[in-house]
Amino acid sequence: MSNFQSVKSPKIKPGKRAFVNSPFPWLLPLGLILTFVFVYPIFEIIRLSFTDASLLGADYSYTTESYGRLFGHSEFFSMLLITAIFVSFSVVFQLFFGFIIAFLIDQGQKLDLKGTVIVRTSVLTAWAIPGVIIGIIWRVMYTETEVGIFNSLVGMVGMDLIPFLSDPTIALISVIVANVWRGTAFSMILIYAAIQTLPNDVMEAAKIDGANGLQRLFKVMLPMLAPIILVTLIIISIDTFNTFDMVMALTGGGPGQSTEVIALSIYTTIFREFNLGQGAATSVVLLSINVIMTLVYLKILGRQGEK
Amino acid sequence: MNINKHWLFGIVFLAFFMVGCSSDSSGEDAVDLNWASPAGYTPQSPVASDAEYISEKVSEFEEENPDVNLNVDVMANNVNEAMARLMEQAESGRAPDLAAIDGYILPNFYDHLQPLDDLMEEYGIDPDDYLPFAKDVVTGPDGKIYGLYMNTDTRVLFYDTDVIPEPPSTWDEVIEVSTKIQEEGYNGLMLPGGRGEGTSVTTLWPLFWAQGGELTDDDGNPTFGEGENREKMLNVLTTIQEAAEAGAIPQRVSSYGAEGDLDQEVATGKTAMFLGGNWQETVIPDLIGEEEFESWAVAPLPQIEEGTDATSAGGWTWGIFTEDEEKQRAAFDLMARLYMSDQGMGEFNNVFGGLPSRESVFDSEYYKGTKFSDEYREMLEEAQTRPPSPEYSKISTEMQIAISEVISGGKTPEQALDDAWNSVNN
Repeated sequence: MSNFQSVKSPKIKPGKRAFVNSPFPWLLPLGLILTFVFVYPIFEIIRLSFTDASLLGADYSYTTESYGRLFGHSEFFSMLLITAIFVSFSVVFQLFFGFIIAFLIDQGQKLDLKGTVIVRTSVLTAWAIPGVIIGIIWRVMYTETEVGIFNSLVGMVGMDLIPFLSDPTIALISVIVANVWRGTAFSMILIYAAIQTLPNDVMEAAKIDGANGLQRLFKVMLPMLAPIILVTLIIISIDTFNTFDMVMALTGGGPGQSTEVIALSIYTTIFREFNLGQGAATSVVLLSINVIMTLVYLKILGRQGEK
Repeated sequence: MNINKHWLFGIVFLAFFMVGCSSDSSGEDAVDLNWASPAGYTPQSPVASDAEYISEKVSEFEEENPDVNLNVDVMANNVNEAMARLMEQAESGRAPDLAAIDGYILPNFYDHLQPLDDLMEEYGIDPDDYLPFAKDVVTGPDGKIYGLYMNTDTRVLFYDTDVIPEPPSTWDEVIEVSTKIQEEGYNGLMLPGGRGEGTSVTTLWPLFWAQGGELTDDDGNPTFGEGENREKMLNVLTTIQEAAEAGAIPQRVSSYGAEGDLDQEVATGKTAMFLGGNWQETVIPDLIGEEEFESWAVAPLPQIEEGTDATSAGGWTWGIFTEDEEKQRAAFDLMARLYMSDQGMGEFNNVFGGLPSRESVFDSEYYKGTKFSDEYREMLEEAQTRPPSPEYSKISTEMQIAISEVISGGKTPEQALDDAWNSVNN
């Protein structure tokens, strides 16, 4: 061993040795991959957002007109509002139902009820199905004739058919409901995992101290789950901001632009209208929203870490 | 040194061997013909009968042309994306030798395509035999032919004669007939009125074109929202709004963007008339049964004014990019066999379910036709294609949004049209 060291050591210069012993050689491959698949595309998107590039031609010039047109158009703010409504309601209900299902499964396990694994698996299935398929499934369910699943039920109780996809307001609600169905499983899994880690002694102490079920839920369990609920909140917010596939298959953004969320607008601008510059500018707006959400996420995580 | 000699001998032997092999397999004058197309027009078509037809013809071609190596490049499913990529390739001099091009976009490629007049004459294909709209599309500004229009389609009014003995020819009649048949438990007129290209080509443009409206000027700049064209487009949206308010067209059509979206309505048995594409003729019997379909017929699309006529025509063309004359000849021969000769066009459209783009093929022994093919042929005389403007996709998307908002009650025709115009020009 000592011979080996005596042979190897003189060949490595002190500076080189410091580099070899540092974490950089380990991080270099990852850094290179991230640069090519993450940093470079982002740089390209930002660069293209300052051009009038079109998908139909290779020529373009640098300009800030894309941003000017974007912020000068009332439809853009209407789209941001629709996106905000879509994200807010989706996130609130995904968290709410995620918590309820996780809590019920946990209670079911504690009571040795059969079928909790089946419930957990079936909820997860919704999360595993691709967004486009979910959009098609819900489109079939929302069909506005008597053969539509929901409308046939509505017809059975003697009510008028509901314009699930053709009324601007109801269409937005329909899209939110489908997205809540799709995203609840993710919240459920995170919250369920957090519930499993809650210390039993604290819950038992609360019980011995005379706290009833609701008090234990609101005063003990929820405060302890708060960090993971916050993290879940931010992750699903970013995920919902980026939702495109399901809305595309379900409504295509219509009727009119009543369900056109920002990610769908980017697709339409680039791949239907071929306006690469403006599509890139809209992408930068979406990227900025996601970066802000991520900073909030990191700040909250950092604060939790300090505690 | 010995090792080097051995290496040298080995390399020379290998070179002779490879040259020998290549001469044996494909001949000294073998050419590679690169052929780009959506999967549906290649041997890899997802439709078994189409794939079988194309594969058989390609095999025949390969047997008779052993010196031509066919390389098929399947285009992206998204037509807009595929056409944009093809344009990029053409502009950078990397276009395939032969490519399928969405019919209405062909004029954008004139500068990159080879004239085909001589080959057409040689193969006995008369350019004047093309239907009027097809001839317009394939004829360049210099009067030469730059494309092979292989198939087409058109939009019509499908109606059930048991319920509607006389089809409506104007929108006033549409409201009248719809009101009447709704009392009998049927839906009003069904049409694509949501976000999708079906709405543009089936519902919007025929009404606009029949008034003489022009979506763009000769340079491709949008014109639909100014001057007389604005009035004509406003007429279209107002007509649709009045029909929606009168209950002649149900609000739910604002969520249908494609002609095929109406199939679910036909399947309920409560739809007695709808605006659709000719290819739906083969779908309706599957939905309602052969017997029920016997009473169905087709008529020209209803218009705003009596006596006017217009419909949309679609379809695909082939363009030859290569400057190599040998390749041009091989490409033309392949296309003639598959899609362009009387036999090729007739047999292909029998299998594919499209319509011939050449008048004589309708009468040819090779084209079987359908129950309504004579009517389609007549309607295609008045057909128009979408303008080949780079702005077209934007115009179409914005006008789909406009009509969808008008039908769903979100905006008045004026607001919807002004917003669409502003968006296109923003």
